[in-house]
Amino acid sequence: MVGLRELSTPSPGHSAATLSRGGRGLVVPAAMQDPLSPGGRGRGPATRRVAGRVRGIIPAAIAVLLVGVFALPAFAADTPSAPMPEETDELRARGQAIYFRRCSFCHGLLGDGEGPAAEFLDPRPRDFTLGTFKFRTTQSGELPTDLDLFRTVSRGLSGTGMQAFDADLIKNGLSEEDRWAVIAYIKTFAQEFEDPDLDPVKTGKVVKLPQSRAPFDADTIAKGKAVFEKTKCWECHGKLGRGDGQKSFDRKDDWGFPIRIRNVTHPWKIKAGTDVEDIYMRFSTGINGTPMPSFIKALNEEERWQLANYIKSLQHRRTNHQVLKAVPVLGGVPTAPDAEAWRQAEPMDVRLTGQVVGAPRWQNPSIELATLRALTDGKEIAFLIEWDDAFKDTVHKGDAELDPKELRKVGGYNSYVAANGMVTRKLETFRDQIALQFPIKPPEGTKKPHFFRGKPSNPVHLWVWKADLAEGGKRAVVEAVSRGWRQKPKAQAQAKQQIAGKASWNQGRWRVVMKRPLVTDDKNDVQFAAGAFIPMAVNAWDGSNGEHGLIMSLSTWHYVFIEAPTPMRVYIFTVLAVLIVGGIGFWLMRKVEREDG
Amino acid sequence: MSERTGKFGLGRFWTMVLTLVAIYAFIKWGIPAASRQITNLPFPLPVPGTLIFMFMVLTLIALFMLVTFSDEHLEDFLAPIKALLAGRYGKLPRAAVLVAIPLIAGWQVYDATVPKVELPSSLRIQHPSSNFPKKFEAMKNPVANPDDKAIDAFIEQAKAGEIELIPQAASDVENWVKEMEPEHMLEFIPTPPMKKFLKELADGKVSKVTAKAALLEKNLFEGRALYAMNCRPCHGDSVAGDGPMADGFKLRPINFTDNGTIETIVEGYTFWRVGNGGPGLPTEATPWDSAMPEWKLSLTEEERWKIILAEYDLAEKTPRIPEGH
Repeated sequence: MVGLRELSTPSPGHSAATLSRGGRGLVVPAAMQDPLSPGGRGRGPATRRVAGRVRGIIPAAIAVLLVGVFALPAFAADTPSAPMPEETDELRARGQAIYFRRCSFCHGLLGDGEGPAAEFLDPRPRDFTLGTFKFRTTQSGELPTDLDLFRTVSRGLSGTGMQAFDADLIKNGLSEEDRWAVIAYIKTFAQEFEDPDLDPVKTGKVVKLPQSRAPFDADTIAKGKAVFEKTKCWECHGKLGRGDGQKSFDRKDDWGFPIRIRNVTHPWKIKAGTDVEDIYMRFSTGINGTPMPSFIKALNEEERWQLANYIKSLQHRRTNHQVLKAVPVLGGVPTAPDAEAWRQAEPMDVRLTGQVVGAPRWQNPSIELATLRALTDGKEIAFLIEWDDAFKDTVHKGDAELDPKELRKVGGYNSYVAANGMVTRKLETFRDQIALQFPIKPPEGTKKPHFFRGKPSNPVHLWVWKADLAEGGKRAVVEAVSRGWRQKPKAQAQAKQQIAGKASWNQGRWRVVMKRPLVTDDKNDVQFAAGAFIPMAVNAWDGSNGEHGLIMSLSTWHYVFIEAPTPMRVYIFTVLAVLIVGGIGFWLMRKVEREDG
Repeated sequence: MSERTGKFGLGRFWTMVLTLVAIYAFIKWGIPAASRQITNLPFPLPVPGTLIFMFMVLTLIALFMLVTFSDEHLEDFLAPIKALLAGRYGKLPRAAVLVAIPLIAGWQVYDATVPKVELPSSLRIQHPSSNFPKKFEAMKNPVANPDDKAIDAFIEQAKAGEIELIPQAASDVENWVKEMEPEHMLEFIPTPPMKKFLKELADGKVSKVTAKAALLEKNLFEGRALYAMNCRPCHGDSVAGDGPMADGFKLRPINFTDNGTIETIVEGYTFWRVGNGGPGLPTEATPWDSAMPEWKLSLTEEERWKIILAEYDLAEKTPRIPEGH
């Protein structure tokens, strides 16, 4: 059944409404023209932050207006107000000092991407010595322009360790001149930058945005979808863009590191910008050093623009609430993940991130979003948990698990799990899992157990669904009690295991249903009562990403809430109030009429 | 029958109603609007609900006294009400008012009695001191204030050209030395204090002050490396609380560049917080929501002090000086 598949993806029309852009059509001096449309780019966090600071202060507002009219590019986070200054030894020395203080711990003192933090990061920090740069506005295989480097340093690469360095975005960021100085220094690492024949600007290898750009609407998106099908983007990125194409596992980049194909529906993981213009550039220029090719020859400008619009329409828009309402249903809660009844439930997106509270720490989590729904019939409660995972991992090899002893030593080398080599990040090694976590004691006031597995005096109840058990036809959900992360959770006795689970995996997405009676007679279970906010957190594991044990992603506390029926007295009081006040009014009217005679 | 009274000829009833509305509007919107002009803050300061209630009760009492001042006043005030009830403004307006008022009353009663669904919320205290052990108060960062012994040892190592570095930072420096073949390995630190020290070293006349400044540069380098490995995922490489993982936590990692964070506390407090993390917080600081690890389980004291040194340096802040010491 197709029904549920797209429940948590926005309709194109919905996104279109929020995509209005400001700042278009402003005249920008030619020297500052950036292929990525400087006018359209000002709406980044910088603009928003500036706007927030000056709201209501009239002189400042006037100043902002004046600046906006006369010098808009100065506002834009990643567009310089002036071209790159001359690359003198002085500029490079200034850049070296900044590089040493701010960049070398990831990119290495030699610019080889081997700084002390590098081995724990995936994607790995760039090795500048090869002159291979991923995010450019130049043709495939070419060097980046100075503006490309400026853009990356200024706004960072979303979803990676590379963060924004624009002083307008962060308080101790780098001024425009400092950023140019660092870029001048970074360019000394690769000889290619010294060769004028390789300069993409001089040799005319810069890719431009199309002259005419169709609006972001249903028609353009539909045409873009046809281009997506025709060009076989789905061979790697999957039919629904979730990075689950059959060709997508075990690909390596030019540096020999495994790479994951991007799930294009998660905008926070799209590294070099989520706007239509950014997306257009990615498949026009290709991503050097990776299997992502350039489509500049295969597709014309119009087709690429349509495709970019389609990809934009796939981006998920997260819900913002912290409370999951268990919606009442009649005739029993559903067991199947694709049951029609789930349409009545309101989704809640839960953001997850890597587990870094206790060793082994993990900063390369694969699952960063789970969408939850809940239904209740007054006797039972059922949860539907959906999350994207490009590969279905239903095998678990216990002997491949990491022994965390070394990582738990005080003064050991590091307590994080290295990105490569320390755990196996391959298929057929570890299972996929998801867990819901609830406090066992009803919370007093706002007091709760710690969001990461509780503590000895305040334990939590875990519902852990395991893909290997489900695949083997066994009871797939294990109920366990945890008293803090330092001890392993204890599974409850066989007789006390009473959660039914059912799952499906389709096109890069897991859907798992877990259901249980609202109330049980086990004192180590969470009990659901109407009208109470019950804290709830999510743990998740992607087996082929090497995740098992505490190497996982997790969320902080959210709530699940079952609405209590309105008490009868409320209606009685309301009706009484209407009758009494109405009666007094009527009585006064009669009295006045009588007096009038 | 109803005589027009007052300056504007509105009649006593409407004057009273308008006065009431005007005073309510002044308290509800006027005062907050004025507060923004006075405080220059980007948001208004609202008048608390209980205060509004008290003001309105006082206003009502004053108006009531005014209306009941004499029989004549009362008569004037009641005239339009009586006229409405008698149907002199038409039957339809009368019916509308007589239906609307009970419905409004019913709505108010419903709203007051229906159970409200409200998320449990709590005020969180960011720098709780209820369980802060006194012994940390006057602590000084040993790597920021090296003693003579440490400085002498550093000079000896520099003379021999063999600087001891933490293993986490050593291999990158080794690679750099192999590739660059410098005259002295410390040249990898391209800062003025280090350059001055290396010059004095080459000239054979090292002063303790210069050596101390150079040692600080080395400690900072190590601290930054440890920060990048351990803290950066959440607090960010610019110490602005915006690391790649920050979005996943309801309690966002602290932004050290903000005023009122690490510059308002003594170094000993920072050291205690880094060591004991979220679980070491008292209840008023909602320890159950904090992802801050207990770093004493992973990092040595020296590693923690080096990180704190680098953290203040990257944030361009200085710690508060302990009082009375």
